[in-house]
Amino acid sequence: MSILASGGFWAFVGVVAGIYTILALGLQVQFGFAGLLNFGQVGFMAIGAYTMAILVVKEGWSTWLAAPLGIAAAAVGGLLLGLPSLRLRADYFAIVTIAFSEIIRYVATNDTALTGGSQGTIALGPIGTASQYNGQWSSFEARVQHALGFSSSDATMLVLVWGVAVVLLALCWLALRTPWGRVLRAIREDEDATASLGKNVFAYKLQALALGAALAGIAGLFYAWEFSFFSPDDFQPLLTFFAWMILLLGGLGRVWAVPVGAGVFGFIFAGTRFLDFAPFTWFASDQRAYLRLIIIGLIIIVLVLVRPQGLLGNKREMVLE
Amino acid sequence: MTELLRVEDVVRTFGGVRAVDGASFAVADHSVTGLIGPNGAGKSTLFATIAGSLKPDSGRIVFGSARIDRRPVHRIARAGLVRTYQAARVLTRMTVLDNVLLASAAHPGERLAGLVLRPGAARAHERRILERAHDLLALVRLESHAHAYAGTLSGGQRKLLDLARVLMLEPSLVLLDEPMAGVNPALREELLERILAIRRDRGVTFLIVEHDLDFVMQAADSVVVMNEGKVILVGTPGEVRVDERVVDAYLGKAH
Repeated sequence: MSILASGGFWAFVGVVAGIYTILALGLQVQFGFAGLLNFGQVGFMAIGAYTMAILVVKEGWSTWLAAPLGIAAAAVGGLLLGLPSLRLRADYFAIVTIAFSEIIRYVATNDTALTGGSQGTIALGPIGTASQYNGQWSSFEARVQHALGFSSSDATMLVLVWGVAVVLLALCWLALRTPWGRVLRAIREDEDATASLGKNVFAYKLQALALGAALAGIAGLFYAWEFSFFSPDDFQPLLTFFAWMILLLGGLGRVWAVPVGAGVFGFIFAGTRFLDFAPFTWFASDQRAYLRLIIIGLIIIVLVLVRPQGLLGNKREMVLE
Repeated sequence: MTELLRVEDVVRTFGGVRAVDGASFAVADHSVTGLIGPNGAGKSTLFATIAGSLKPDSGRIVFGSARIDRRPVHRIARAGLVRTYQAARVLTRMTVLDNVLLASAAHPGERLAGLVLRPGAARAHERRILERAHDLLALVRLESHAHAYAGTLSGGQRKLLDLARVLMLEPSLVLLDEPMAGVNPALREELLERILAIRRDRGVTFLIVEHDLDFVMQAADSVVVMNEGKVILVGTPGEVRVDERVVDAYLGKAH
């Protein structure tokens, strides 16, 4: 039980939940606000992380220039994906987004010269050297840790990730309450009716897609900084579906439901790691690993059955149909 | 008469079916024009083609002085030609007030750049349209429902909300798709009175597709009769009522 009681472990769970919050917030903007079914969110996360790492290692850029460019690259990825495919019907668009994120992952795996290939970011630089992209980030983190008087870097990262997450959540909350957000909500419900009221539905969908992609890019940056190394395998479609689970758990259309969903998901995900008591001990440890996924799935199914609008969702405004 | 809308030889087919087969007519400015015809005459297709959600295979549609038949729906709406739907498509998960506010044209707060660079202008615009939205809701007597979800309104009330919402756009031509369908008799009189008052006070022109012939005869200055995709007659309600071709179209030639 020692690891369960360790503050460092729970700080790590909190950091991951914060990164998931930013990732799922992007889906909330796209689906919860504008009704876009994006199943390729992890692709934008990969674009953000790789753009930053490549610029820092290969081009020698400052992290503070490379990071915003990573976010911008993710947003541009959203525009490029949306321009040809947003006119498709919702279900076809969803299929295209999965394909998009897989294309990103396959390119990252195979274009070794650009990304380091399947070895990951450690192979970004010349052969025989272990590349590092987060020197500047680490010294920044150390300064913050010193300023806050914290003893662990986990706690520092927790504060940084959640500080950014809260600012982003607040911005999205405000944006939803503007006339711009009102048009998005209208599109979510009936895009033909919204177009016949003079709104350029395509332009709004494109904006929502690009903004959600930018948020995924930010999640990608924190992912890169938290783990100091990543490879294409970190951006499996499963990650997108984790973000969707968070959205469904928390509730659609509500900004503050995202961190709640991420917290619950993180707790279940981390908590089920320690099923080291009967009846779970009847199974071998590798079987237990699968059992854990089954249990997570069951908990989520039950939650969605009991509260289809999510934990914080408004039933009149948004029920999963 | 000044023409506001001119439909010229419009053809629209679905597979081999010529739903609209060379229809031509004009709508006079400030008129209430009825568009009638038996089921399958092509009224709804023609309506959707004028509003821009369907594109004609051939022919021209001129609104004011501009051709609109190739423009996307939202640009036609911004030019001042808007439609309502037979089953009013109000946004049920938004409040009645938000439904009306949504329709405001050229809102700086609906652009991200406007929100960031000119937040003051966005707020000022919102204040102005808030007042207008309440006036329009008062006009259709939905003022007391302003903060209710539009999904709680009855079918008839939704039609009134749709009308208020469309007026928020300050249109010059409103296409009403079966405004009387599913509306109870008490509300019927009110809707007729509202439409005539809006035309009188705001100079709005109406083109109305309607199966309730009594209503059309009461409301319209001019009636366009369609059958089998073609316009077979244009005249005053008095002329249309007694024309044999209209009776034939509705009852079949053998009656």
